[in-house]
Amino acid sequence: MKASSVHLNLLKPGELRSSSPIRLRVMLPIGAILACAGLLLWWGMLFTQLLMTKAQAQGIAGDIAAKEKEHAEAIQQRDLARELKLQLEQLDYYKAGVRSVGDDLSKLAEVVPLRVQLKELHFSPPKAQILQPPGAKIPLFGPTENVETQKLVIAGLTTKETPVVSLMESLETGFEGLITRERKINSFKQDAAEAEGRKLLSFEIEYTMPERRFAK
Amino acid sequence: MNGSVFDNMAPNAKRSFVVSAVLAAIATVLYLFCVQPAEDQLTKTKAELSDLQDRQARMNNDLKSASTIKKDLEELEAQLKPYQEAMLVPLLESYAMRAKSILDPLAIGAGLDNVEYSREPFRALPLPKPMPRQLHTRAAIKVSATGSYQNAVSFLLRLEKELPLVSLQQFDVIAQAKPERQSLTFVLEWPAKGGLTRK
Repeated sequence: MKASSVHLNLLKPGELRSSSPIRLRVMLPIGAILACAGLLLWWGMLFTQLLMTKAQAQGIAGDIAAKEKEHAEAIQQRDLARELKLQLEQLDYYKAGVRSVGDDLSKLAEVVPLRVQLKELHFSPPKAQILQPPGAKIPLFGPTENVETQKLVIAGLTTKETPVVSLMESLETGFEGLITRERKINSFKQDAAEAEGRKLLSFEIEYTMPERRFAK
Repeated sequence: MNGSVFDNMAPNAKRSFVVSAVLAAIATVLYLFCVQPAEDQLTKTKAELSDLQDRQARMNNDLKSASTIKKDLEELEAQLKPYQEAMLVPLLESYAMRAKSILDPLAIGAGLDNVEYSREPFRALPLPKPMPRQLHTRAAIKVSATGSYQNAVSFLLRLEKELPLVSLQQFDVIAQAKPERQSLTFVLEWPAKGGLTRK
């Protein structure tokens, strides 16, 4: 007779054990301990790093504080140098526009023909600067143009046209500092004045003067 | 958690579970109150350190270039000196009187008579970019006198020699009955201090 096997399960479900060699009730606390230890280690590393960073920052802050005064002076000097450079630039503009015509005016007296009597010689006034353009709320600090042009007007009396032509020819060379070649005869007419029993002729010539360029 | 499951657990498992729960709570506390703040503070401190390092580097660069700047400053001051010496500064608030004090010896030397000085409108100079704080201007002084054309030219030649930064803006000669007493007018320009572009 074949005996039948009976399998009795007397364990409660909670008393059942896993066949796995890794037991959860052992591994769970170990994992938790490792997590705590890891966190402590992490915190320790962060704290050490923080202390080192703070120490480094304090060192740099101390260095900055020590150099503060010297640095402030250096910055002040740098700003001053920048300001002086700009001032110099503007003054160089002035220098570039300086007109020096003494020699030319001196020569002018030598080239006036005998039959010409100069009555007037003048530079026209420079064009007015517009520092408050229409619509502008505040005035400008400087002109928008850096070039100025003026005219030299020579007026006089003569007996005939040839001395005037001669004067104009003489002025064609050697007077580059005073006048350009651009000229206009404003008038040439009979005058009320008389000399040697003859009516004199009056003339007025207008020369464009070289530009005054207020720029580097 | 289902209470019956916990109740049905073996005492060893129960102990293990409680210990694990307590350790997990400790780990959470450690993370929230130690690790996280330390990390935040470290980030902040690192940012501060970076700022300080940048500032230190800038400072060191500035200080390194200080000697060059000092040299530049000396050069600039030397270049500005002739302008500063030539600048027209008011004498008791009067530019014309300062011009008189400078020009009278030249006018007398050139033989000009009846010399009078008055102030003309000043003209602005073009502006460099960026604008300096202190602007300079073209101070104009009108000099009226009587004398011959030669006297006028002599005055101008002396002026150009003695005061090379003074410029002739306008010149008028009007003939009179006597050639040695022509009516002469000069408008002379000087560099002078102007306004401030900012305080």
